[in-house]
This record gives sequence, C-alpha cells and structure tokens, in this order.
Amino acid sequence: MIRFVPRTQFGFWATAYPLLLALGITVVVGFLVMLAMSEQPVRDIWTLLTFPWQARTASVQWGFVLQKSSYLAVMAVGLSIGFRANVWNIGAEGQFAFGSIFAFGAYVMFGMPDTVWFLPIMLAFGILGGVAWAMIPAALRVWANTNELLTSLMLVYVAANVLNYVTTGPWKGDPKAGQAESDPIHESLRIASIIERTDFHWGVIISAGAIAILAFVVLFTTFGYSLRVAQNTPRAQKFAGFSPKMTVWMSFMLSGATAGLAGAIFLSAETGKLIQSENYLNGLGFTAIVIAFLGRLHPVGIVAAALLISYVNVGATYVQSASQVDDAVADLVQVTALFAVLGTAFLSRYRIVLGTRDLSTEGAA
Amino acid sequence: MTSLLSLQQITKAYPGVLANDAVDFAVERGEIHALLGENGAGKSTLMKVLSGLTKPDSGQIIWKDQAATIPSPQASKALGIGMVHQHFALFDGMSVGENIALGLGTQFGATQRDQIIDMSEKYGLPLDPDALVFTLSAGEKQRIEIVRALLGEPELLILDEPTSVLTPQEADSLFSTLRLLRDEGRGLVFISHKLNEVRALCKRATILRGGKVVATCNPAEKTAEEIAEMMIGTRPVPTAKAAQKLGETALDVRDLVTNDLRIPALSVRRGEIVGVAGVAGNGQEALYAYLAGEELAPSADVVRLNGVAAGRFGPSERRSLGSAFVPEERLGHAAVPDFSLIDNTLLSNLGTDGFQSRGLINWQLTREHAVEVCDGYDVRHAGVTGRAGSLSGGNLQKFIVGRELIKRPEVLIVNQPTWGVDMGSAINIRDQLKALAEAGSAVLVISQDLDELFELADTLCVLNHGHLSASQPTSAWTAETLGVAMTGDVNREVAA
Repeated sequence: MIRFVPRTQFGFWATAYPLLLALGITVVVGFLVMLAMSEQPVRDIWTLLTFPWQARTASVQWGFVLQKSSYLAVMAVGLSIGFRANVWNIGAEGQFAFGSIFAFGAYVMFGMPDTVWFLPIMLAFGILGGVAWAMIPAALRVWANTNELLTSLMLVYVAANVLNYVTTGPWKGDPKAGQAESDPIHESLRIASIIERTDFHWGVIISAGAIAILAFVVLFTTFGYSLRVAQNTPRAQKFAGFSPKMTVWMSFMLSGATAGLAGAIFLSAETGKLIQSENYLNGLGFTAIVIAFLGRLHPVGIVAAALLISYVNVGATYVQSASQVDDAVADLVQVTALFAVLGTAFLSRYRIVLGTRDLSTEGAA
Repeated sequence: MTSLLSLQQITKAYPGVLANDAVDFAVERGEIHALLGENGAGKSTLMKVLSGLTKPDSGQIIWKDQAATIPSPQASKALGIGMVHQHFALFDGMSVGENIALGLGTQFGATQRDQIIDMSEKYGLPLDPDALVFTLSAGEKQRIEIVRALLGEPELLILDEPTSVLTPQEADSLFSTLRLLRDEGRGLVFISHKLNEVRALCKRATILRGGKVVATCNPAEKTAEEIAEMMIGTRPVPTAKAAQKLGETALDVRDLVTNDLRIPALSVRRGEIVGVAGVAGNGQEALYAYLAGEELAPSADVVRLNGVAAGRFGPSERRSLGSAFVPEERLGHAAVPDFSLIDNTLLSNLGTDGFQSRGLINWQLTREHAVEVCDGYDVRHAGVTGRAGSLSGGNLQKFIVGRELIKRPEVLIVNQPTWGVDMGSAINIRDQLKALAEAGSAVLVISQDLDELFELADTLCVLNHGHLSASQPTSAWTAETLGVAMTGDVNREVAA
C-alpha cells in the first residue's frame, strides 16, 4: 500500500527531487516521441540535444535560444507575481501587443526621431502600454468583481484587432507588402546585437535586468511576502494588514509592465515595424504562462525553464530543417514537461511511505 | 453482570503514537458512562473502533456476552450502536425529515413523519419534520442527530461532546432526555470536557490519558479538580488573577452598528479583562473583525484605542497604536499553515520596529524572534523552519498567543483563546492572559466557554444575534442569567 504523509520540513531535497523526477519523465517521453516521429531517431535525438554545435556557427544558435528565452522569462516572472497571489492574468499576449503599439505610437507622436537616445523613451512607453492594457481586467476585478481569467484572455483578441486596425489604418505602411504593416522605424532605434550577426542583442540584457529587479522584489521585500501570504490564505492576508485589492492592482501592473517591455523590445529588435497580428503575435505571452508554472513561480526556476524550453524549441526547428521531423515535437516536450512538473509538485509537500498499515493517518485524534 | 458492551485490552497504534494501549472499557445497561480525557488521549480512536471506522490491532469486543467484530459502520449500526457526532452531518437546504430519512437510507414519507413526531414527543426532543435545517439553532440540529440515531433503535448510544455548542438551558433539556434513555435500560457513553456536567449526569467514568486507562471512578464523588488532575496528570492550579486598581479606558467602542452587529457600548480599562460570552455564530466573528480592523467601522470615532479614533484604521495602524489581535481560526487566519514558524512570526510584526526597513525584510531578526516566542511560551516544535500546520493545535495556539503577548500590547483582543486546545495548553494560555492584564494591559476575550470566562473575566457581557448586552461584573452573573441573555429575545431586551 502506498501512503502520502505530509512533510513537516521543507529541505533542499524536498524541492529538488520532484524537479529531477519531472525532468526524467520529460526526457523519457521526449525520447519515445522522437522514436515514433523520426526515421533515424538516434541521429535526430543527438541533433536535438547538441544542435548548437552541429550548426555552422554555434553562437547564432545560442543567440536564438537566449533571445527567445529572454522574452519568455521576463513575461513569466511578471505573471508569476500575480499567480503567487491567485491573481490570474492570462492576457500577457495582449499586453505584449499593446507594448509594441505604444512604443510605435510614441515614435510617431514624437515626430519619428532618428537618434538612439529616443530608445529608452520608446521602451518606457512600451511598459506604459502593457500596464494600461492590464489595468482593464484589474479594475474590473476590483470594482465589479469580474473574473480576471475571462477578461484578461478576451482582451488579447481585442488587442490583436487593435494591432490589425493600426497596421491597416492610421499607421499603414507599404501597400505593396504581402501583409498589413507599418513603415519601419529608423535604424538608429533598432536594438543592436551584442555579438555580431546573432540574435543576442541588448534587449536580452534589459530583460535580464528587469528579471533581476522583480526577483529581488519577490524574494526579499514585504510586498513579495504579502504575495506569498495571499496565495492560499486570504484571511491571513487581512490579519497581517495587507489589502487584497492592492495585491490585484500590483500584480496586474507588474505583469503588464513586463509584457509591455517585451513587446517594445520585440518591436525594436526583431521586426522594426508593426505587422498584422497573425504575423506579429506568435504566442509568446501564452507560452510565458507555461514557463511560469514550469519554474514553480520562482524567478530562478522560471529563468531555467525558459532557457530549457527555448533550447528545445530552437533545436526542434533546427532538426526540422535538417531532417524531416516536424517541430511540433517541441510542443509535445513542453506539454510533457508541464504535466510532469505539476504532477510531481505534490511530492515536495508529501512523503511517499510504502507499507501495509491502516489507511487512516490522522493519528490518535 | 449485565454488561452490554465490554472492550478488553484494545490496542491501536498509528505511526508514531500508541492511540489505545490495552484499554478496558465496559458499559452496562441503564447507565450513562462518561469517557474523559484530553485531546489526543485516545477517546476518538476508541469510539472509532466502536463505530466500525477503524479496526483495533489487538483486543476483544464483547457485545452482550458474545465476542463480536465491527468491520464497518453498517455492522456497528446492525449490532445496535448509535452515534451522535460532535460535528453535525446535516444538509442545510433540506428539511428535518429529509435529513433523517437520508441518514436511515429511506424515503421521507407519512410513516416517517409520524415516527419522528412520536420519537420527539416521547423523549422531549421537540422537532418540526418540515422545518429546513438552515433555519434551526445548534440545539435543534443536535436533536435531529439524536432522533436519527434513536430511530435505529440503538441499545448503546454514544454522544461525542454533545454540549459544546449548547446554551446551559439547552444542555439541561438534553440531560433530561439522556436520563430518560438511561431509565429505559439503554447504555449511554457521554464524552465531554465539561466536568461539572459529567459529575451531574454520570455514575461511572473511565479516564484515558496517553492512550491508557488511568482510572475508573464515580465522578459524582470526586471534585472537578480531582478529575482534571487524573486527566492531565498534574493538578492544574489556575492562578487567580490578582485584584487590582483599574486604569483608564484603553479600548472604547460606542454605537457600532452594522448589518450584523449592534454594539451600544463596550469598553475595556487597563488591567481589566472583559469577557464576551455567547453561543457560536452570534456575531463573534464580526465583532472581532471590526475590533481588529479587518472590517472598517462606519466612522472613525466608533472605535477608540488609547483615545485615538481608530474605526477607519486597518490592522497595521491599529497595531501601531499598541493593540494586538488573536483571531479564532488558527490555520488560515492567525497563521499560514504552509509557512514556517519564521514566516508566520512576521505575519503580525510587519509594523514592529526592526522587522523591515523600506520594504526589506530583516530575516535574521525574524528568525531570532520566532525562537524567542517558542522558548518563552512553551511551544513544542521540531524547529522554527518547520511548517506551522504540522504543530498540534495547542502548540500552535501557544505560538500565536505568544507572538502577540511578547509585544506586551496595551490592548489585546482574543477570539476563542483556547478553542480545541488541550487542557495543559489552555491553562498556560489563560495564565498568560491574566498576567498580561495584571501588568496593566486591557484584554478583551471573546469566548463560548463559560468556565473560561468565569475564570478570566472581571466584567462580562453577552453577544446574542449580533447584539451586545450591557456589561456587568462577572460576580453579578450566574449561569442562569447568562443563559437567558444568550438565548433571549434581543428586541424585547432593548425595549426594557
């Protein structure tokens, strides 16, 4: 008979071993998936695991990984703040879009300045845009007690349509382009690469800075403490003197800010222009939710999860181009990892005890 | 010997604890047998054995002079054992009759209605079969449970803490019913913490301590103190609160009127303990919330702390005015179960000097403080990094009370200070509260436990349907006048 006994102490091991177990499950399932999907599984698995060194220049591949993971990590850390306190902003994708729209709007509003010194202002407006869009579900939750899961998600589609409107309406650029898009911003406002000809650009560093600041706030300040209190025990939150409404406002503000920042960096570093939503929004804001939970809502875990998932994603794309394996394998790995991490999470709170004793574990009541 | 039930050498071990250690327990026909012991003494385990919820590791069950096994609750019922649990298992949205029928596994019909009415008239348990359960008082709900058990025609009826939610008058009428059942030749097991009730009702008592039977006696021939000593081992000597001159008023509430509360006046002076009596669910939670700042009063001057109009202040601001709070619910309100004791120490100390500066938490100090609270208030724990939820109720309560007392608050507001706490811890906590008042603090104790209030309070008032009675010195109240105030018609009282 297997029994689960609540842990009384949480050591390092209690946290580490479920994660290792989850990693193991993910690797095994990933291998099985590759066995099923590939004609030469051994070669393809090897390629997936070591692709940066298989490619012509490893730095280019690492650049892809770092760039992708920086967007995911910064948004996921922002989202995790609310998730810690049971505030469910799942609309980061829309706040990301508004970050881009505000950044581009600032560029237009200030007369399209052609100087790198305008870049910080663009990023600041990006943050503002993300916050503004996130304030809508926050206000509805605080003032009208509306479920923020629904409102924040629905506002993603509204944001996508706003993006479609500005790229086909007021900011419509080259009509001969194959898609609705704005004119490009000046080259001086494009975030530069740190390593020549790679995607490892200064935006990655800015994101890392934002993650460091938020990690500090979450781990060491009374605000971070208040989020932990709010997580399971709203009444203890009141007892301590924290305002539940303030938690909602702050959670949405910070997650909106990170998503808006990511949107502004994306505009500057990747596309240089706004494009219709289908070709601009690629689900980073949704993947960030998965990353937040893969990282157990802890900043360090989130950064690790973002790097890992980005590595698999970029690797799967590489394998697809090298052989004929569909890069959907990356999605399967991601989903497996999520199931495994969530499924093993309870092991950090319970010990497994094997034995044939009586099932009742309440002790002598 | 007309032994109805005899348990012989019952032993039951759980991981890490021997819940029942060779327990002998016998009930005869026509007796009310008291089963006494602290929380954790093994009473519940023994009753689980009888009701078929758990199997003993060894030992014999003799039922009417024949060896028996009780593998399931159904088997227990079939033998003729009925059980009235401490916590009601009733559906609020259904009628009395439907609830009873559900418990018996039948449909509610005309015959059943007659049965219920017969039964309730015969045993003095007035019940309306068609009343919806949520409209009933705790006493009426208990009658449902008793009638439900009696319809199973039990020869042995077990009552687990039956008076814990009853007013003195309701308890008295319950006792008449129990005596009637006894005189019919049934056996009854009466589990209670209230020793005076046991002494009035029972001729025989079995006392458990640490899973063993420590004594069998006639409780009527012993004093409550002697029985308590057998239960907890050492003689509990509650130190009487020293009489002293009272200081100025530290907590002052005037005309606090909200949806669920009507408090014309409530004040506590320095050095004084004021008790608020009342049956559970009469507004204690709301009163606590308005005093602790978890709910804001309609206007600031309704609640004054040390003369400052604090009605619109939240908990942190009220704490900075020298007050401290202990809510009723330990897990999820006063403490976060999944937090360590260190984390929980911070919960009510965010505004205390040194614990944080500009939003940064001083974990070093918090840890030291957690250790101080545990050492100073006899909290037995496996380390301050351990989960609060893994502490026993008594130890967690000592931690929660200690966390506030160590601040030497000028005003302390406590809701149910010893609810569900073992007797040793309860005595410890009460002594601490008395010491705080003697040192010149104002203490407000909201409690359902009248014995506790009589021991602690200088002044008593009663909360009934959200309405707070006028305060009187504790010596001016009797159990009877209190009972009337706890159940009386509030509106008539106001008019008078």
